[in-house]
Amino acid sequence: MTRTPLRPLARILSARQKGENPDVIERENIRLRHEEMREKARQRAEGRLVVLALLFFCIFGVVGGRMATLASSEPAEPTAKASTSRIVAQRADIVDRSGRILATNLRTHSLYAQPPHMVEPEKAARALAKIFPDLDEARLIKDFTGSRKFLWVKKKISPEQKQLVHQIGEPGLLFGPREMRLYPNGKLAAHILGGYGFGREGVYAAEVIGTAGVEKAFDDFLRDPAEQGRPLELSLDLTVQAAVERVLFGGMRLMNAKGATAVIMDVHTGEIVSMASLPDFDPNNRPLPLIEGDRADDPLFNRAVQGVYELGSTFKIITAAQGMQLGLVNAHTELDSQSPLVWGKFRIREWNNKNFGPKLSVTDMIVNSSNVATANLAMMIGQQRQRAFFSELGFFDPTPVELVEAPGAKPLLPKNWSEIVTITTSYGHGMSASPLHLATAYASLLNGGYRVKPTLLKRQGPLLGERVVSEEVSRAARDMLRQVVTRGTATFAEVPGYKVGGKTGTADKPNPRGGYYEDKVIATFAGVFPADAPQYVVVVTLDEPVETSGSKPRRTAGWTAVPVAAEIIRRTAPLLGLRPEIEAATLDELQLTKSR
Amino acid sequence: MSYLEYTVARVPTGPGKILYMNWALLVLIITVACIGFVMLFSVAGGNMSTWAEPQIQRFLIGLGILFFVAMVPIWFWRNMAGFAYAASILLLLYVEFLGVEGKGAQRWIDLGFMRLQPSELTKITLVMLLVAYYDWLDIKKVSNPIWVLVPILLILLPTFLVLRQPDLGTALLLVMGGAVVMFLAGVHWAYFGAVAALGAGTVAAVFTSRGTGWQLLQDYQYRRIDTFLNPASDPLGAGYHITQSQIALGSGGWAGKGFMQGTQSRLNFLPEKHTDFIFTTLAEEFGFLGGISLLALYGLIIFFCVISAVSNRDRFGSLLTLGIAATFFLFFAVNMSMVMGLAPVVGVPLPLVSYGGSAMLVLMGAFGLAQSAHIHKPRGRA
Repeated sequence: MTRTPLRPLARILSARQKGENPDVIERENIRLRHEEMREKARQRAEGRLVVLALLFFCIFGVVGGRMATLASSEPAEPTAKASTSRIVAQRADIVDRSGRILATNLRTHSLYAQPPHMVEPEKAARALAKIFPDLDEARLIKDFTGSRKFLWVKKKISPEQKQLVHQIGEPGLLFGPREMRLYPNGKLAAHILGGYGFGREGVYAAEVIGTAGVEKAFDDFLRDPAEQGRPLELSLDLTVQAAVERVLFGGMRLMNAKGATAVIMDVHTGEIVSMASLPDFDPNNRPLPLIEGDRADDPLFNRAVQGVYELGSTFKIITAAQGMQLGLVNAHTELDSQSPLVWGKFRIREWNNKNFGPKLSVTDMIVNSSNVATANLAMMIGQQRQRAFFSELGFFDPTPVELVEAPGAKPLLPKNWSEIVTITTSYGHGMSASPLHLATAYASLLNGGYRVKPTLLKRQGPLLGERVVSEEVSRAARDMLRQVVTRGTATFAEVPGYKVGGKTGTADKPNPRGGYYEDKVIATFAGVFPADAPQYVVVVTLDEPVETSGSKPRRTAGWTAVPVAAEIIRRTAPLLGLRPEIEAATLDELQLTKSR
Repeated sequence: MSYLEYTVARVPTGPGKILYMNWALLVLIITVACIGFVMLFSVAGGNMSTWAEPQIQRFLIGLGILFFVAMVPIWFWRNMAGFAYAASILLLLYVEFLGVEGKGAQRWIDLGFMRLQPSELTKITLVMLLVAYYDWLDIKKVSNPIWVLVPILLILLPTFLVLRQPDLGTALLLVMGGAVVMFLAGVHWAYFGAVAALGAGTVAAVFTSRGTGWQLLQDYQYRRIDTFLNPASDPLGAGYHITQSQIALGSGGWAGKGFMQGTQSRLNFLPEKHTDFIFTTLAEEFGFLGGISLLALYGLIIFFCVISAVSNRDRFGSLLTLGIAATFFLFFAVNMSMVMGLAPVVGVPLPLVSYGGSAMLVLMGAFGLAQSAHIHKPRGRA
């Protein structure tokens, strides 16, 4: 401490003269100095205090302002009912185009254990193993008596099971509310819906997240609280879907196929009204993916979207349509069809080594499914224009349908689009695409020529894309497809009352070891109904079908896929609201007799 | 400086001291506590015995503590500051090894009749020690780096122990409370600037470390940060607290739904509705007016503390009152911000209102210290 002298000293001296006690004065001086110092500190503290007070005022303002904004925000008035549903129905329902439930939520309970609170862990474990036969008793005993503080026993249990667990009377076994996803229609539309799983789990709640299909593709929408449980409306029609799955299953069995798929699409909007893939699974209990074997045989595999197949002669109508659109040919132009067509080292033959003679009209080329004539037309079109047209129809990209699986299913394209590739793709070989690709292309060609985008969401009215072919070409193509059914390779597709048009396609399955199988085919029928005023396209594909009622096994689409497709149309057309056109009985059938 | 330097003659003595109490402050405290009782009664669905009665009992005990602490001369408490701090550190160490576990965090010492949270006690003892330190320290040395390091270590020791429990909210309160005392004591601006920069760096580090092997916070703490930034993303999981409390606040509107009419909080949608989130019930039942009134009462408590401190020429008493006021402010500011979604959910109770023994008793003790400082301040002309 520095001595600040003189004046205090002077005071001490004068005090001494007056005979007062200088110690008292000295102490007083120290006190004054301290006082002075404290005064300085206090002044600084006061300055600081002002700063701090300003800061505190700001925080007061922010908190108060926030309170005001919250108070003035018009909340979704949480009456007891609304707030209950808000919590219970966190994940929105999924409904079909008529509002019928495809996926909803069910409130169940989860069962968990807190071993430290257990009274008789071993007895509880034995009782639990009796209630839930799939639990392993030894493992439970180990978990309950070990050092674990918490464990899930069952993620979802029924009320009966809950009651039974209650009756064990074990305080260390506890229940939490648990919301699960329910698909009330079981296997119906399984591949589209996908499945669910639990995300982050707590004792009081758990996240339900989509793991596949639209559940995953629209996970954000379904979980968005801002949508307030607005259901996801799909384009599917539940009754049509049920009929398609049922017929397809029967057809698959009858034709001894190992898999089958069917798509029905609205030609004007691209809405998928029904999409089935067999074998299927139950989304309520989604199985694990197959570990061994071909992934394409997995029940989880959606053949309609993920399966890429050589779709065969169904492509011929695309070539014909492009030829007409480019003005190279019309429906009656004669094309060279002398078989075999020799091109370099390749020989292009007709199916079964038939020969349709020197010339075929474009219509007859489609009706008889002539490879040679199509190849000749393709050479007129040329490689560049063919590629451009395929690309326009969407064959070069994965289908833009709203399934998480879709982007992974890229069509298989030849690496080098040479002249011979141009020839083979014109009749559907050498390039693989999904049945949904085909349905989309057919819809675009046949609806009057507007490109459609396949969608699983319900649309309001048609959404016309850009034009791919003219109205006239579209009508001519429909006429050709109609003739395939009346007098061509798809005569089994005739459905009384409905004018069906369509094209068959039979492609040998590629052998993974190279080349093609002799006796394994992909049989496809791609059709449109009614052919004169198209409403829907249907694509049916059977995997390795073989029809054995004749003397020789028959595998062509005309014998396998077509009858199945015809049955699908016969069953679903009335459901889709199409009235059959009953032709008036001709008069000569009647005996007009005069009664006497 | 020893207490001998106080001009004792100018300080009230004997039982008559009680007349020199800061009565306005006391009345405000009792008012706020009564609001708390009413809210606890409402939250329990109109039942006194669930939460309101134990809370009243503890408040009465707290009042006893307040009066006792207030009657004891402030210089005694200054001399006790070191012991108090040491005792609370020992208690923190004790829970670290032998505490009772609650809600995944080890925070309590079981005293039989109640559970004591040493971390609550530390909030006050830390302020006491820091104030005593600055009272003792020569004013010229306040900004000297060595003498700045000492209080920083004093703050960090309990903060570290509290973080280990883990209790992020208390740790933040300790650091901020300590910083406010240092700021008021006159530590140079530059130090606070440096700490702010360091803090910003730490935040950056915390976020970049996420998901790597050396991640700095617990997963649950990261999730709380996530849901703070976007509570709607996870309304059923980690964001549940905030979303539900905001619904409750919003549904209260301007005038509220009326006493005992709050559905959101009563229907058990709100977890911790009687402790950290009790403000939501108040806001739902009494609306914006109720909420802002409580805020105003809190503001008045701070105001009277500041008035008392400014008029107090004793450095210890003045700084201590301010430190206590700051701690009290941090309590309710953090709690309210958290409930209204302005800050992450950290476990900080609403002072004097939330159900909970330790916080109540410790706060009453702290206000006792403020009262003692008020009673024993040098009066009259110096």
